[in-house]
Amino acid sequence: MVNLTPLLPELFLFCWALVVLASDLFSKRRSASLPGYLSLAGLVITGFLLIPAHDAYLWGGMFVSDPFAVFFKIIFLGAAFMAIGSSFGLAGRMTHHRGEYFTLILFSTVGMMFLASAKELITLYVGLELTTIPLYVLAAYTKSSRASTEAGLKYMIIGAVSSAVLLYGLSIIYGLTGTTFLQQITINLSIYWLSYGELGPAFSIALMAILAGLAFKLALVPFHMWAPDVYEGSPTPVTAFLSVGSKAAGLAAIVRIFVGAFIAFATPVMAPRDWGSTLAVLAAITMIVGNIVAIRQTNIKRMLAYSSIAQAGYIMVGVVAASNLGVSAISFYVFSYMFANMGAFAIVAIIAERTGSEQIADLAGFSKSSPVLAGLMAIFILSLAGIPPLAGFLAKYYVFAAAVQAGYTWLVVLALLTSVIAYYYYANVIRMMYLSADPNPHHIVPSFPAGLVLALAGIGVILFGLMPEPILKLAIAAASSFVF
Amino acid sequence: MLLMHYLTLAAILFCIGFFGVVTRRNAVAILMSVELMFNAVNINLVAFNRFTAPDALVGQVFSIFVIVVAAAEVTVGLAIVILIYRNWRSIDADRVNLLKW
Amino acid sequence: MDQYLVIVPLLPFLAFVINGLWRNRMSKNTVIALAVGSVGLSFVTSVLLFIRLLGLAPEQRLIQQTLFTWIPVGTLKLDMAFMLDPLSAVMILVVTGVGFLIHVYSIGYMAHDEGIKRFFVYMNLFMFSMLTLVMADNLGLLFVGWEGVGLCSYLLIGFWFHKDSAANAGKKAFIVNRIGDVGFLLGTFLIFWTAGTLRFPDLAARAPEVFALGGGAVTAATLLLFVGATGKSAQIPLYVWLPDAMEGPTPVSALIHAATMVTAGVYLLARLNFLFILAPTTLVVVAIVGCVTALFAATIGLAQNDIKRVLAYSTISQLGYMMMACGVAAFGAGIFHLMTHAFFKALLFLGAGSVIHAMSDEQDMRKMGGLKKQLPTTYNTFLMATLAIVGIPIFSGFFSKDDILWQAFSSGHGNPLFWLIGVLTAGLTAFYMFRLFYLTFHGQPRYDQQTADHLHESPRVMTVPLVILAVLSIVGGWIGWPKVLLGGAWFERFLAPVMSHAGGGAAAETVGHSPSLEYGLMAVTIALVLVSIYAAYSIYNKSIGRATSLRQSLSGVYKVIYNKYWVDEFYGATIVRPLVKGSIFLWKIFDVVIIDGFANGLAYLTGDASTMGRKMQTGHLREYLTAFLIGTVLVIGFLIVR
Repeated sequence: MVNLTPLLPELFLFCWALVVLASDLFSKRRSASLPGYLSLAGLVITGFLLIPAHDAYLWGGMFVSDPFAVFFKIIFLGAAFMAIGSSFGLAGRMTHHRGEYFTLILFSTVGMMFLASAKELITLYVGLELTTIPLYVLAAYTKSSRASTEAGLKYMIIGAVSSAVLLYGLSIIYGLTGTTFLQQITINLSIYWLSYGELGPAFSIALMAILAGLAFKLALVPFHMWAPDVYEGSPTPVTAFLSVGSKAAGLAAIVRIFVGAFIAFATPVMAPRDWGSTLAVLAAITMIVGNIVAIRQTNIKRMLAYSSIAQAGYIMVGVVAASNLGVSAISFYVFSYMFANMGAFAIVAIIAERTGSEQIADLAGFSKSSPVLAGLMAIFILSLAGIPPLAGFLAKYYVFAAAVQAGYTWLVVLALLTSVIAYYYYANVIRMMYLSADPNPHHIVPSFPAGLVLALAGIGVILFGLMPEPILKLAIAAASSFVF
Repeated sequence: MLLMHYLTLAAILFCIGFFGVVTRRNAVAILMSVELMFNAVNINLVAFNRFTAPDALVGQVFSIFVIVVAAAEVTVGLAIVILIYRNWRSIDADRVNLLKW
Repeated sequence: MDQYLVIVPLLPFLAFVINGLWRNRMSKNTVIALAVGSVGLSFVTSVLLFIRLLGLAPEQRLIQQTLFTWIPVGTLKLDMAFMLDPLSAVMILVVTGVGFLIHVYSIGYMAHDEGIKRFFVYMNLFMFSMLTLVMADNLGLLFVGWEGVGLCSYLLIGFWFHKDSAANAGKKAFIVNRIGDVGFLLGTFLIFWTAGTLRFPDLAARAPEVFALGGGAVTAATLLLFVGATGKSAQIPLYVWLPDAMEGPTPVSALIHAATMVTAGVYLLARLNFLFILAPTTLVVVAIVGCVTALFAATIGLAQNDIKRVLAYSTISQLGYMMMACGVAAFGAGIFHLMTHAFFKALLFLGAGSVIHAMSDEQDMRKMGGLKKQLPTTYNTFLMATLAIVGIPIFSGFFSKDDILWQAFSSGHGNPLFWLIGVLTAGLTAFYMFRLFYLTFHGQPRYDQQTADHLHESPRVMTVPLVILAVLSIVGGWIGWPKVLLGGAWFERFLAPVMSHAGGGAAAETVGHSPSLEYGLMAVTIALVLVSIYAAYSIYNKSIGRATSLRQSLSGVYKVIYNKYWVDEFYGATIVRPLVKGSIFLWKIFDVVIIDGFANGLAYLTGDASTMGRKMQTGHLREYLTAFLIGTVLVIGFLIVR
């Protein structure tokens, strides 16, 4: 009998998701409270189950529970918590399938957790699909809405194609090395390289196919086209979850594969075919396109979609660095990004719930009518923009410092320049809320769970900007899961 | 039959699949093309398993997982296509473009 | 006492939090009392700390307080820590002192504005950020303040958002400053990677070992930091935001865009003087940018008709002086001018505010005139400030400006050319300031009857700060009374411990320059200033009423006067008129066409690119898939081909 302790959080959350599904059958009241609160409780308990985790592995290293995995699992749980917390309004209006909605988010979270722990290609692939398939359903969850179903279709088809491309790459890697274990892959590739002096075009194709497949999850340009449409069409909490949870999951996979297994090919030292410079170019294009196109957006969800594309570009700057500092920097980045982005989307959800509008222009006068919400929104936006002393600033600082250290100064210069463009559209939101004469007719008071989410996000953004010590320690520990 | 032959077949199949995905307008046909891509991967995996490491059945197991997951994916996909049909009265992917810009 | 350092920024912050959260439930007076009182208390604390600092031996004048470790990990260790050395002490006194007076003034100025509570919330946030900036003990925390003041500036410029121009001006300021921030951040990275620390005391200790004199790293780092400083301190080419920033309420212009925030760039250079002194190339760039900005902005100031815009260009010009001082490694002189400038420029803005207030929000000087009678206090204090800014002896501006000019001439990094440009600028300054002065307060009233009916001197709450600032504008420079005029140059000695001795101005001064040369240069400057004032007087003080009455009563003398006017007219036609025309020309060509055009063009370009990028998102699934395919092929191709 295998000792399944390292798997306990995932197993628990999976079973709990089934409980949530069943609970909806028994809750007579036409409210989302029971399954919703149950899901929140389940996530918290899972979080506690993560605490005693120490370096452990299962099935010969297919599934590991190292600091990196734990760090990202915290992020997934946090994202799921905030997504569910801001879903109560949406779920309350559902007549059918309320329990399924929460269950699907939990299933997807389990998939992400698997993904973060996977050190073997099959596990990684299954984890990835378990993450994504529930999200297809969630994107199309508002069944009667044309926009929502369209979002589902686009997400699903492009997602399926990308996972086929990813698989094609994985199959070649398997063919080249004869194994699916990442550690063994590294060793076999090194032997291969030592015997033949280079790895041939097949390896390049595999490398880039994997990159393309995972770039879809992170919405890197030019694999980003789905993101704005899907973000706009999906129910807002789902969008939030997509933009944080799914993105973090993709990032975890990229780091596992590229930094974990292919680190030797990050720079042209071992082979002319290094992924570092390719990824650097992708990151550069992503930052430019994401930030520039965001300027002319009028729908706030779409604007945030492009903003999150750009944010993925910044994260990639840290991956390109492929160093200890780089991995800890992106870990911290995603952590702070989670609070800011979830918070911003939660507010968008609350506003849209009440006013039915997702236009930036309709935020006019918001600071007068709902000063606390407007203040929080401003804090989230400023954190996304990277204004000190909020967490987002520190995250950017770390990522850029890592890239400078790795010698990618041009990329950092570009990142800083594009972040100037970013200020433009971020400032526009603040300008609408604070510097607009139009009165806003809606005084909005969030419901209790939504308020909880906002408080959590607000505290996170401010606290971890001022006192990042505990999280930075965790992030550095996460980076220690890799050999550089 | 050499490994190369299988790999070439898989590559061609993959490209046909990708070509179909890009050119087909019918959502169901797009899903079918995606299936072609998945099957190309399966051929790859099984062939690699047979020619490089025939003792361990990793490649075959991998392909079984791919088949299962692809089935799940297509199930969800078809469900979404049905939703699309209900809302749009069409499954022409080109007509589904409310969300843009 | 050391642990009380944090009180200085904390007080305004507390007021900001309380007012920010509960201002809707509090009465207007409570909000004001909290806001102004906190800044006042902060000033008192600053004075106490200053006295404490004076009690220490000159070499030990450094008080530090670490609140907690901010970024603890690895080699990058940053604390939330404040420090007080002579340089920060001067800054907090100026910021809290002038800030307090401006807060008091605002009570009267903003009294009828419905947004007064919001106004004070932003002002307190600004005070907090600015104090953090000047008291930070490392570059990281300094950047926190740096961004904070930028944000407040943005919010306060756009304070009257019902005016579209105000909101746009705020945005412009914000974006332009971000461009400077790129340089700032990159410079910070570079310093960190080479020196391994961002703490000022450590940096100062380590800099001579880590950086070679004139080495590439230190030159690059200081140049990048200087880019940041040009953004904040409105130097060429990033000065464009400051004239537009005048859309904000006048107290904001006085506090943020004259006395404090815009001097942050100068402060940054002075704070890092030990780095800049190691990079002679950067110093030359700084000096050139500074003196060109000083001259350039002064010429533009000649022809502006909006009273606040004249003062805005004047601020840019004076900031150029300060930069020039830093560029010739006379950081002490730069800070000295920063201080006196804070006094008299704040006073000028507040005086202008008083005029605008009295004139029912009229800002065009062509519609003013003859206000001397109606606004006696404003008039008198404004005169003091004008005399100070043009550098009439005894007034504060004289000492600081003279210090800079002398250093520009004599310092080891100086050059007579810098001095010449500085003196020319001083002449132009005298001209445009007195033009403003005469157009506003002398001559015939040019306003309509309705305005005349409302004309009134401002209330006490506004005039008292004016008087105090006027006194400071006179005596504020005495602490830097130069040795050559039998003074003690106390200010320079006070700042000396902070300044690097790797080759400053003081050392060069003793070499080969006689006091008589210094007297001579001083005399040239004063002479040019007096001539310029006279020119302004003769052109803009034409009082038709007085001229006609004189003509009737003293027909003999009239001829003399007439002839005198004729001479003046000649003088005006040959020298001043072309100058004014040139000024308008320069303004139109550089400011409006090139810089604005470039900025707007860039904005349009980005906007167009944005629209284009938007259109590429056609909404067609198959096109997205095609993009995916092309992307995959491209990345694979990229890797295989290269």
